[in-house]
Amino acid sequence: MRRFFLHRLLLFLPTLLGAVTLVFALIHVVPGDPVEAMLGETASNADKETLRRELGLDQPLSRQYLHFLAGLAQGDLGRSLYRQSAVMELISKRLPATLELSLAALGVAIALAFVLGIAAAARRDSWVDRLSLLFSMLGLAMPNFWLGPLLMIVFSIELGWLPVSGRGGPAHLVLPALTLGMAMAAILTRMVRSGLLETIHEDYIRTARAKGLSERSVWLKHALRNSLLSVITVIGLQFGSLLAGSIITESIFSWPGLGRLTIEAIQTRDYPLVQGCVLAIAVSYLLVNLMTDFLYRLVDPRIRYER
Amino acid sequence: MELTHSSKRAISLSKPRPKVKLDKIPIFAAALAALLPGCRPAPRVERPPGMLVIALESGPTRLDPRYATDATSARISALIFNSLARPDENLRLQPELAQTWQALDDRTYIVRVKQGAAFHDGRPLTAADVKYTYDSVLKPDSRSPKRGALRFLEAVDWLGPYELRFRLSGPFAPFLESLTLGIVPEGARSDDASGEQRLIGSGPFSLAEYLPGEKVVLKSNPAYWEGPSRLAGVTFKVIPDAVVRALEFKKGTIDLIQNDLEPDMVPWLRSHTDAAIEIREGDIFQYVGINLEHPILKRREVREALAYAIDRGAIIRHLLKGLAIPATGLLAPGHWAYEGSVPQRAYRPDEAKRLLDRAGFADPDGEGPLPRFKLSYKTTNIDLRKRIAEALKEQLSRVGIDLEVRTYEWGTFYGDVKQGNFQLYSLEWVGVVDPDIYYNLFHSSSIPPNGNNRGRYRNTEIDKLLEQARRNSALDERKRLYGKIQQLLATDLPYIPMWWKKNVVVRKPEVRGFALYPDGDFGSLKQVFLADRPTP
Repeated sequence: MRRFFLHRLLLFLPTLLGAVTLVFALIHVVPGDPVEAMLGETASNADKETLRRELGLDQPLSRQYLHFLAGLAQGDLGRSLYRQSAVMELISKRLPATLELSLAALGVAIALAFVLGIAAAARRDSWVDRLSLLFSMLGLAMPNFWLGPLLMIVFSIELGWLPVSGRGGPAHLVLPALTLGMAMAAILTRMVRSGLLETIHEDYIRTARAKGLSERSVWLKHALRNSLLSVITVIGLQFGSLLAGSIITESIFSWPGLGRLTIEAIQTRDYPLVQGCVLAIAVSYLLVNLMTDFLYRLVDPRIRYER
Repeated sequence: MELTHSSKRAISLSKPRPKVKLDKIPIFAAALAALLPGCRPAPRVERPPGMLVIALESGPTRLDPRYATDATSARISALIFNSLARPDENLRLQPELAQTWQALDDRTYIVRVKQGAAFHDGRPLTAADVKYTYDSVLKPDSRSPKRGALRFLEAVDWLGPYELRFRLSGPFAPFLESLTLGIVPEGARSDDASGEQRLIGSGPFSLAEYLPGEKVVLKSNPAYWEGPSRLAGVTFKVIPDAVVRALEFKKGTIDLIQNDLEPDMVPWLRSHTDAAIEIREGDIFQYVGINLEHPILKRREVREALAYAIDRGAIIRHLLKGLAIPATGLLAPGHWAYEGSVPQRAYRPDEAKRLLDRAGFADPDGEGPLPRFKLSYKTTNIDLRKRIAEALKEQLSRVGIDLEVRTYEWGTFYGDVKQGNFQLYSLEWVGVVDPDIYYNLFHSSSIPPNGNNRGRYRNTEIDKLLEQARRNSALDERKRLYGKIQQLLATDLPYIPMWWKKNVVVRKPEVRGFALYPDGDFGSLKQVFLADRPTP
């Protein structure tokens, strides 16, 4: 198992390198000049060239790329062209907000999916099952930019229970987490339900029942645990969608996270900041995938990672 | 057993979002609310006494006046810093820190600084601070975006504690506009972010907290040399989503929104809240830019036809909800140099067709589907911009022009426009104070990379007039010259004028004393007070 995880960790590096190389290439290919944006409409050509030289933007792309990689190897992501701060410092201020939102959304999604999925499987073809189906369809059909304001009107304006937007205490987290987690909850609900229905007809379930175990124990300890592998896979995969989806949710809820920082950096062609933000998102995603692999082992001890 | 799964998914960034209709949401929301127990009206949100909360679409990028260039940064920075002169509600420059200014000749000005002004830390503001501010912008390694605009300034000489001499490299009539630069204390650094958190100015408000992308908190300067504000302070809260800004206002967490509203939200706020709404003519100029090197668009008849084919009135009525006035040119009627007697082109599709026929672009199949020619139009992926583009496409198709709409995120769009990579595009000019901006936009020497003549317009007569107007400091003569320039541009149409946007302020009824400036400046905040709240 150790070898497997070592192998996984080593795979981190080429994957990250691929991500940052792709972003480096793309951000330099699209139109837009950070120097023009920094010096404004009236700057002289000479001033633009001077600044371009100072920032190293006059160098060939290959040299700029190597310079970036050299900095990265030393843990230096450079300085933001606009914000007069180290990229690492800017990211470290914003990343916790994004992770907080994404993890809360993940929690909401898992909680909703397990409650509704188990209830739907246990009461197959009943009104509970149909309600769960309706929830899944709505969760997938309603985009964040629609669901967010809808929840705001109900829970903030009409009922006055929760704040409309911004980041603060736990109350501020409820609506954005619900908005962001809804689509994932919808997918997981269907997966939990179908996984349970597949497992519940297995021989070992019949054996468990024959042993006289309670239905609760049969469903939760035997059936659910054995249907979890596919659900965990999807959770790992979907976490990337949560990180990406948080960009829109952060804008709707004025959530000061990495998503908004990334958009602002792209709009101003702040090359070091864009690269840093994408790197942070990629690392978060890869870490979650690694954790997913650990979870496999916890859920099903029969799994071996080495031949 | 080895488990593998290919889970590397592309992360998509910044997708444009379809517009959410506020008036449609409540139907669903009401149905959802009815399902929930204990429905009750939202409680009123208490705000700190005397604190005014203003919603902004985007936050400032830099507050140091030497670097603040975007409109939001400039407006907030102007509350923290004073300048020698400041435009009033009619965009005429008035002395602020300057006691007087006097032209010794056409390249030397003497400026006397008022005594009694002080920075937030108590230090008196003197000529040394003014000199330091201008010198720190002018030094070659300043990286200040304002350095280019001050390149005519040869030196600022200290003549005494409250007296300076501005020496210009040549006659330059728009010099006085450069006196609007915010004054920082001598020695104020500018090259690190921590400095941005500790800015010290001499304005009516001081910086209390600055969280980039989140909020800016200003507190009233009790020792302000013109008398303290009646507010305890102002919080600028960044709320990127237009719908959410309106909902926050309804919730009571926002006291005032200026202009950062989509046009169709104004009627919604009028009918769903107790907001006081004021609308006033503004000077934000929307135009269609034209690439004059394009083989079709370089023909003046074609540009005229485009102007005749656009039904501005319909777009203003239906998409802008009446919050704009059809424009005749860059300068709005309130500007001192505005010239009203210029050729105007109201919606006349028949005239457009006639002009196109005359230019040799006959419609190949009459009323049939084949176009006379095809053009591309670039705009941003903001929802309102896309809907305006669709309206233009429809209107131009009525005269046989096939308009291909291309929408881009801001950075890509603006990059293309600056590189001249467009046929038609639309942008706006905000806060035009001196008409010398025409030099930057239409003089043949201002073709990029030397200026913003992005359409590559060349007209020797305009060049001469612009050079004369720049050298001549007599206001009447400048007005005459700029009048002629406006007439020539309205004839030649390097831009198609669209409209001047009206300024809109939505405020709680208790917010009093707020005045709308044509350029959206927050200058009146120092007079604002909250009628039913204790004030300091």
